[in-house]
Amino acid sequence: MSKVILIALAILLLSGCSDASKTSNTATIDKTKTSSKANIEQTTTKNSATNIEETQAMVLLSGLPTLGTTDSIAIIEMDPDSANFGNILYDYSLPKLDAPMHHLYYSPNGRLYATGLGSQCSLAEIDLVRNAKAEPVISNFECLNTNGQNVGEDIMWHNVNGELTMFVTFMGGSDLTQIDAGTVGVFNAQTNEVIKIIEARKSQVEAGQPYIMFPHGISAYGDRMVVTSSTHPTIATEIGNTITIIDLNTLKPIETIVIEDAKPVGFPSSPVEVLFVRPSIIEGVEPAILVNTLFGFETWRVPYNAKTKTFSTPEKLYNGATEGTAVPLEFYGNEDELFISHGVPGIVKRYDLKQLPSLVSSGEDIKAENGAHHMIFYKTAAGRKLIAVQNNLLNLGDAKDNDPTDVDFLVKLNHHSVTVHDLLTGERLGEINFKEKYKKGIDNIEALFGSGFTHHH
Amino acid sequence: MKIATIVVAIAVLFIASTIYTQQNKKLDTHLVEFTAPFVFGRFNLPENNPLTQESVLLGRRLFYDPILSSNNQVSCATCHKQALAFTDGLKTSVGISGNPLAFNSMSLVNLMWGPRHFFWDGRVSSLEEQAIHPIAHVDEMARNIEELIVDLNNDETYKKLFKQAFGNISEQNIAKALANFQRTLISANSRYDQYLRGEISLTAKEEQGRKLFMAHPDTKVVLRGGNCIDCHSQFLTSGFGTAFDGFSNNGLDDDQTLQPGLFTLTNNEMHRGLFKAPTLRNIAVTSPYMHDGRFATLQEVLAHYNGGIKRSKTLSPLIIEADNIAKTQSDHISLNLNDNEITAIIAFLHTLTDEKFLANRAFSSPFMAENNDDD
Ligand code: HEC
Ligand code: HEC
Repeated sequence: MSKVILIALAILLLSGCSDASKTSNTATIDKTKTSSKANIEQTTTKNSATNIEETQAMVLLSGLPTLGTTDSIAIIEMDPDSANFGNILYDYSLPKLDAPMHHLYYSPNGRLYATGLGSQCSLAEIDLVRNAKAEPVISNFECLNTNGQNVGEDIMWHNVNGELTMFVTFMGGSDLTQIDAGTVGVFNAQTNEVIKIIEARKSQVEAGQPYIMFPHGISAYGDRMVVTSSTHPTIATEIGNTITIIDLNTLKPIETIVIEDAKPVGFPSSPVEVLFVRPSIIEGVEPAILVNTLFGFETWRVPYNAKTKTFSTPEKLYNGATEGTAVPLEFYGNEDELFISHGVPGIVKRYDLKQLPSLVSSGEDIKAENGAHHMIFYKTAAGRKLIAVQNNLLNLGDAKDNDPTDVDFLVKLNHHSVTVHDLLTGERLGEINFKEKYKKGIDNIEALFGSGFTHHH
Repeated sequence: MKIATIVVAIAVLFIASTIYTQQNKKLDTHLVEFTAPFVFGRFNLPENNPLTQESVLLGRRLFYDPILSSNNQVSCATCHKQALAFTDGLKTSVGISGNPLAFNSMSLVNLMWGPRHFFWDGRVSSLEEQAIHPIAHVDEMARNIEELIVDLNNDETYKKLFKQAFGNISEQNIAKALANFQRTLISANSRYDQYLRGEISLTAKEEQGRKLFMAHPDTKVVLRGGNCIDCHSQFLTSGFGTAFDGFSNNGLDDDQTLQPGLFTLTNNEMHRGLFKAPTLRNIAVTSPYMHDGRFATLQEVLAHYNGGIKRSKTLSPLIIEADNIAKTQSDHISLNLNDNEITAIIAFLHTLTDEKFLANRAFSSPFMAENNDDD
């Protein structure tokens, strides 16, 4: 990962932003489950075992080189009431790759995929089966052909003219040495074949024309897709400050929008994750794109007019520099709320889903740990609703372990843990520290039965 | 005296140890190894009946052996034929007495997944318990179990197979063996399974049918749907996990003609007319359809859901509510799908046929294999 990020984080941490969490807007919420039934775009076969294994999660674990461990995919028990809490129920060793696998995603048909931060395996499909003891096991891990794309980040499945299509953002594009690298891979969701690699490098398009650079976040509504321009994965000086709209009829970028104003740490804003708020998430909503900026520490809104297919001027909804938070990362939503993780000081903010695309708080921050990042939602065996937060930005090791890949302060965003909280109250019920317990870092968490959340991209 | 005691003690020890080794020998069995699709969900095996190769071998023989019937003419396979996904093609089955049974034969497939309630009305809670029913039933096999055990004991092959699988011949072990053979009837290679694994693509028509099968219609957002998944969520297995999930009244009869269904088991009036939503795997080869075999074709089944629904006090609200045109005043219940959509759903149902399963030698009659040893 770019040194710039490290520097930025250093500055950020030194500038004292980490003293945070005193948020002003704590409007109370009515937690009664009224019917905010969202239309689900793609229904999948429900799994009869959800009630038995609902508390299990799948995690991507990174070997920490100096601790002598290697990368794996593991299934862990996440029910804090269980005697097995935090235990690895199953562990599948990954092949040795040039960089860790980064994100797990279930397709709408229940197929499991992962993106990878390197060049050897930027996209993979993982076959899950059950053995004769009814245990889930991985029967195959296959790196997919991407026509040589590097550093896979996010995957989104979306219907394009009635065809389910898989889109993948490749932050490192077709060549990591390109200063403006970055592509969006379009794949046949059924066969995994490359349909198209969308490339529009800034240096190669005419001035003022839309471009795609270091794409990371991805979301879509109808025939419009949005990707962010975050940071170059290897060239330290290159950071983006835009989002780009892709027309799904032509698979071409049609508009690049700057998402930036104040630069709290002096760097471009680096939009990271996006969520296209759309009627399938909230019935009748005014569509808009929400954008988190990694170095801007903000959340922005870009309103969209579905009739004229036009985007209006971006508006800043949330300012981490004044609110005392930094490194906003992911959007996750359940039926009632939208959750946004902030790596510093390691919290998850929660908002009323029905009020989107405005951010109206629906409760107090969930206090996780530094690096708060991905999350899952599930119920304990006893029926209590929980949220688990993976607290880790990237697994680059730790200087204390004399790990060459480490830079000292990054540890502050690498708590290597998953914290488990009561979803209603935010109360912390448990913590699993993967570094202490297994000498590994944790890159991603996903409920064993896929999206314990309904809205992510 | 002392010596006698010692001798007795040694004798006791000796006997005990032979019993022990015998019982251990009984445990010298080999578990069946297999993998099954993750999307089927978790399955449950009873702790007191491990899925051993030995019990499956025995169960397969029993399943195909008319020795289980009093006239030595009817086997389980009489009403559960592999080529028909273990159904019999009859409206309602006919066994030893020649009197038609009350029910249509059920497909035997993916039985490890979940159901705690077997039979159309759910009155039996395990495969072990189920296995004895047809044997004893006067219209089906009409076999006295005690006599069956005597006959099995006089058969060297069975004596050996039971010894290897369980140690001895008993009613319980007959049931366990039959149950275990049936558990191995795993089907996971239909075109739809292959599609789920990404091995093939569905045709445009099948894909249209798949979408309709999966969707609950919503006229507000112009989403067309057949509503099937609402009740047939476990259509690949029938493995409903909890309570009476999977039992519903899909509108076959009105209040006057409503059959007892699940009421038989629960005595709950609200369960009258509720039947198990069976697996839809291999549905194209298991006609006729429904608990009483009233529909000869899938076209008739779809015509039922598309306008033939009869109202009754326990009719599923999921059926009443599902409509592809905005509800009118009329209380006629229909999905209001068009012909094109109906054929698409039927095309999708055909993707659930697993030819390999229907021809898998491991599931066929061992007697046939004995007779023509050509493989
Ligand atoms: C005379 C025909 C006949 C014979 C012989 C017969 N069955 Fe059946 N079987 C049926 C019918 C009919 C049903 C549905 C009955 C009902 O719901 O009451 C059924 C249902 C079943 C089921 C329930 C499946 C489910 O999903 O709920 C199992 C298991 C089964 N049979 C196994 C067997 C076994 C094992 C044998 C031999 C010991 C056997 N059958 C013999 C006709 C027969
Ligand atoms: C309200 C729940 C419900 C809905 C909705 C529903 N089914 Fe059924 N289905 C059942 C039940 C219950 C049965 C068994 C009924 C009986 O035999 O009494 C059944 C039986 C069937 C059978 C016959 C199975 C056999 O082995 O005989 C087929 C085929 C079938 N359904 C297809 C469909 C299709 C296709 C749809 C969507 C158009 C659909 N069902 C919608 C509940 C439902």
